[in-house]
Amino acid sequence: MEDRADIFGRRTPRRLRADLGSLFLIAAAPTIWAAHFLLCYVTAAIWCARIAGRDGSLDGARLLVAAYTAAALAGIAVIARSGWRRHTYGGQATVPHARATAEDRYRFLGFATLLLATLSFVATLLVAMPALFVETCR
Amino acid sequence: MGKGGRTRRERSGANSALGIRPGRRRIRPGPALPVPALLLSGCQGRQSVLDPAGRSAEAIADLWWVLLAGAAVVWLAVIGLAVYAVFARPNSHDLGKTRILIIGGGAVVPSVVLAALLVWSLHILPVVHPPVPEGGMKVRVSGERWWWRVTYLTEDGREIPLANEVRLPVGRATAFDLVSPDVIHSFWIPSLAGKVDMIPGRVNRMVLEPTREGVFRGACAEYCGTSHALMNFEAVSMAPADFAAWLERQAAPAEPPEGPVEARGLELFLGYGCGACHTIRGTDATGGLGPDLTHVGSRLSLGAGILPNDPEAFANWLAATHVIKPDVNMPHFGMLPEAEIEAIALYLDGLT
Amino acid sequence: MSTDEEIRRGQEERLAAAWATPKGWRYWSAVNNSEVGLWYTIVAFVFFLFAGVLALMMRAQLAVPDNDLLSADLYNQVFTLHGSVMMFLFGVPIFEAFSILIMPQMLAARDLPFPRLSAYGFWSFLIGGTFVCGSIFFGAAPKGGWFMYPPLTTEYQDDIGVDVWLLGLSFIELASIAAAVELIVGILKCRPPGMRINMMPLYAWYILVVAAMILFAFPPLIAGDLLFEMERAFDWPFFDVERGGDPLLWQHLFWIFGHPEVYIIFLPAIALVATMVPTFARRPLVGYSWIVLAAVGTGFISFGLWVHHMYTTGLPAISLGFFSGASVAVAIPTGVQIFCFIATVLVGRAVASVPMLFVSGALAVFVMGGLTGVMVALAPFDFQVHDSYFIVAHLHYVLVGGVVLPVLGGIHYFFPFVASKKLSDSLGRVSFWLVFAGFNLAFFPMHISGLRGMPRRVFTYPEGYGWDVLNLLSSIGALILAAGFLVFLVDIVKTVAFGSISERNPWQAGTMEWLPTIPNPAWGVRTVPLVESRYPLWDQKDIVATYDRGGFFLPDAEEGKRETLVTGTIDAEPLQCLRVPGPTWLTHVAAAGTGGVFIFSTFHWWWMAIASGLVGLGFVLAWLWTGTATIPEKPEKDVGLGVTLPLYASGPKSVGWWAMFITMLGDMAAFSGLVFGYYFFWTIHENFPPEGTVGPGWRWPVLALALLLAAWALTLAARILNGRGHRTGFFVALPLAMALAVAGALALAAGPWFTGLDPTVNSYAATVWVLVVWTNFHLAAGLLMQGYCIARAAVGKLTPTYDIDIHNVALYWHFAAVTAVVTVATIAGFPLVD
Repeated sequence: MEDRADIFGRRTPRRLRADLGSLFLIAAAPTIWAAHFLLCYVTAAIWCARIAGRDGSLDGARLLVAAYTAAALAGIAVIARSGWRRHTYGGQATVPHARATAEDRYRFLGFATLLLATLSFVATLLVAMPALFVETCR
Repeated sequence: MGKGGRTRRERSGANSALGIRPGRRRIRPGPALPVPALLLSGCQGRQSVLDPAGRSAEAIADLWWVLLAGAAVVWLAVIGLAVYAVFARPNSHDLGKTRILIIGGGAVVPSVVLAALLVWSLHILPVVHPPVPEGGMKVRVSGERWWWRVTYLTEDGREIPLANEVRLPVGRATAFDLVSPDVIHSFWIPSLAGKVDMIPGRVNRMVLEPTREGVFRGACAEYCGTSHALMNFEAVSMAPADFAAWLERQAAPAEPPEGPVEARGLELFLGYGCGACHTIRGTDATGGLGPDLTHVGSRLSLGAGILPNDPEAFANWLAATHVIKPDVNMPHFGMLPEAEIEAIALYLDGLT
Repeated sequence: MSTDEEIRRGQEERLAAAWATPKGWRYWSAVNNSEVGLWYTIVAFVFFLFAGVLALMMRAQLAVPDNDLLSADLYNQVFTLHGSVMMFLFGVPIFEAFSILIMPQMLAARDLPFPRLSAYGFWSFLIGGTFVCGSIFFGAAPKGGWFMYPPLTTEYQDDIGVDVWLLGLSFIELASIAAAVELIVGILKCRPPGMRINMMPLYAWYILVVAAMILFAFPPLIAGDLLFEMERAFDWPFFDVERGGDPLLWQHLFWIFGHPEVYIIFLPAIALVATMVPTFARRPLVGYSWIVLAAVGTGFISFGLWVHHMYTTGLPAISLGFFSGASVAVAIPTGVQIFCFIATVLVGRAVASVPMLFVSGALAVFVMGGLTGVMVALAPFDFQVHDSYFIVAHLHYVLVGGVVLPVLGGIHYFFPFVASKKLSDSLGRVSFWLVFAGFNLAFFPMHISGLRGMPRRVFTYPEGYGWDVLNLLSSIGALILAAGFLVFLVDIVKTVAFGSISERNPWQAGTMEWLPTIPNPAWGVRTVPLVESRYPLWDQKDIVATYDRGGFFLPDAEEGKRETLVTGTIDAEPLQCLRVPGPTWLTHVAAAGTGGVFIFSTFHWWWMAIASGLVGLGFVLAWLWTGTATIPEKPEKDVGLGVTLPLYASGPKSVGWWAMFITMLGDMAAFSGLVFGYYFFWTIHENFPPEGTVGPGWRWPVLALALLLAAWALTLAARILNGRGHRTGFFVALPLAMALAVAGALALAAGPWFTGLDPTVNSYAATVWVLVVWTNFHLAAGLLMQGYCIARAAVGKLTPTYDIDIHNVALYWHFAAVTAVVTVATIAGFPLVD
């Protein structure tokens, strides 16, 4: 129990301080995915219901979807980079980050952030894909 | 395509001059009689996704067989791997390699396969749900508890009402408008295409293009209340010329009753107020609540695909309406004298 | 030595006294997680068996074509109840119950932070569940399908069945949300010191994700239920197309709940698998972070799938495409989990056991369900099989493979923990093979009958369509499946009656729920350990000995109070010694009173409902007044190992604040559902508001908003003034805030009232009114809370130091203010923008 001071959070280096932000960071990329998804859906729904009509062209909405997708992917990439940095804190990637130290907790949250960002990246691409193929509001 | 009930009518003629076995009339407790014997022989496959007879259904069936093969391979691979993992010698596998398993098997391979499937399914969407053809005939089908109001809107602007049966020219794309005045139904002919819901307040569209002639069966796929199970119909694809002839016949008013019993049947039909709900074009029956009966005798089945089309079934339906189809809107006429029911049944059966 | 021994015995006596389970009939007043969790689990399992019997009735009816064993009407009640009970009374509650039972011990906590809330949730569940299930014995069960699509259920079913479903299940949904709040706070705040967030058992990760999902998935359904019941009881036309409503609004709200619901049911069962697999592979799970990825990822993506239940409703192809994309994306995290489990077994040393048998069976079944799930995620294929028996097969493969089999394995695994005895291995194997074989025989043929065109929810079918043999096989399979459950039950009864006490940690597991002795005394945890590993029992050599002699935190109950530790959310550093309340009957009456509101409303006995609600409210207040925010006799105490912790914390440091925060997030989700309704109508209608309809205008709503924001600011001021010791300021600000809140609520209602907006005329008027009513309901609750704080302060239960109540109420008012802003912006601002 030599590192009790650490366990009680007193000796943690400043950068590793526990804050809720680091917990919420793991949810940031999926949140971007969700926002992108909702925007795409709502844009298409409003476009077809109120602007283009039932058989109208989808082109305007597709452009918007492309813009959303680019923005979302960029945001997710930034988060992934931050996750990677945390994951490799201290110079080495020491999975499974299973020690009861602030360092490993920090690396773990970074790794989880990175993984979720990767998943969100792929999921965003999958969601955007229909806009490549579907041309009308039918 | 002949009429399903004919053979049985002739066969049962031995029992009763009117073709009705009195003993059976009211007592059928079950909800539905089997469909006509003629149809029975070819039933298997008449409602099957796996035996497609339409452009859309064919594209989907192709997709299905590939999905099935892929799923079988994946299932065997995963289960094989799991079995191997259980029986593998402990410590014979190092941790690092399992990461490749998780990343490769869990993430990369599925992502690629899923993306490919998604692309394919999006690609065939225009075949599965084709655009509505310009001009041409249109069919409006309204799902109502628990039958189908069918209206053919011809190119020259006529509206031909019928019910519980849809016929289509083979090799041509026919547009459908699907509506409902009451609850949500879903229009589904598995042999021809997937289903589309009929939602109050909306007009949903669908295009059907049969690729071969045949008699298929459709069903309501969305739960719509008590007798949801008893809301079916026949879908027939015919050679275009046959189809045109059939449609002309359906457009015509009913022919006058053949004989005295049939004439009495019409009289009773009108006398008991059936015409308040049913139309028989060419008579005084002009009601719009229930199915149009002008050519009811020509249809392949009765009661929305649940009874054979013969006088016996007509009589059963009149006498035990609510036993056959619980909670249906039509009142039952079981209190009428047998002879009157038989007369009405014979008249209706003769409306070919 | 002997003094050590004496000290230890003294500690144990005091702990035992503090945590003693009540005896005799008072047993039922217990609130501790080991009792409430157990009752909860048993009742959920009984509902499961009940729904299973309903399934057998269906299979009996469908065994042969043209069968008339069940009438159409009864069959429709049976299938509706089967689905509803399985989803609402088994699927969700069983995991909440199970988690209430095992989570505290897994986290080495003596109880969850709000034991009385658990008890309230349980009694509500029992009352509501009995009410819903009992309806079928009076032929009054719901028969609209578990999805209750209007207009069938709004305009064509005027018996009370639909109301039983809406109100009975809404009541249970509230209980589910209560349990979810409790579990989230428990996991975030009641972990043992040292258990940083990277050390949490995976079970806790899953439950954290699932509880959060409940928080965002159930509220939209409750909002939908509210609209639905308003239409049924008061003719507000949300779903009536004649008056501008739309049945699809319900479908959206239902499936925004309904699809995450599947994962809410599935993830906890996978959590059980993630708990059992390491034990029987004798090594830590491979890919801890990957599992966290999968759990969190699934949690998010599952909210983007709802329309895949609506592929055939005629939405634009592009919308189907988006949802199709999300639907295939969700398969990725699921695949990752399965490969993590396989990798663990591969690297570890597989030990044969009955729980693992069930897990293996679950894998075989679930993978197949997952694969058919990918198929139906593709819109074109779904057009064919949607609402056919193929879906029945698919969903049962997912839910039986993904839930029922893991739960059965979990019962085997945790039986020694709960009942101190091990179930029989031989009977376990028999029941497994019967269940496994019976299940596959029952459900595999349904894939084929579905592909051959057999629709779902049919009470009968004609012969000759290639369905006859398949259905007979399904029915035979169902019987075998039932026999498997019978063996399972026999095993349980036999073991409880005749089994011998199991040894400690019978499976040689590594997680902390196996740390205590078997049987475990009522205190649950002898002393809260310091955790240094994800599998402390494997890696911390002397943990058992230190635990047994009380060598960690809180080994004693010096003051005779029930105590547990509160720690930091991320790093689990000790923060507070939390005192939790003991046995009570208040929660029972509170639950019965709340239940009465829903049950009497079913019969439209409004006065009885109101009276019952007042009784419930009174008892909730009594429970809060006597059992929460109690001022301790001293500010802090020594909890052992040289650590001294405060006995009272308020604001973000307190569990109550977190509970309020989390609850209000759920409340916001429900409110979003209502707001969604407004914008949904705007999207589908050319004219919304309809031509000629006078809205609430902007003057009254803006005035209301100004008043309400002032009320909010004053409430905040009252909190700050109290904290600084300005009692006079507090006693001026808070009553003033109440007065402004009343004025604001009246002004808000005045808008639509004075412009004569009649909520029965069209969907626009109804939606405006429902937003106003919702906001004002929240203001009424806010007023009650403000009054409560004034009363607490007046009698000295709320002081500048001990100020939990006003902190929580101020937090509530933040959310109430947001509600008011959004409501006013929507009803007053949006028509102007348009």
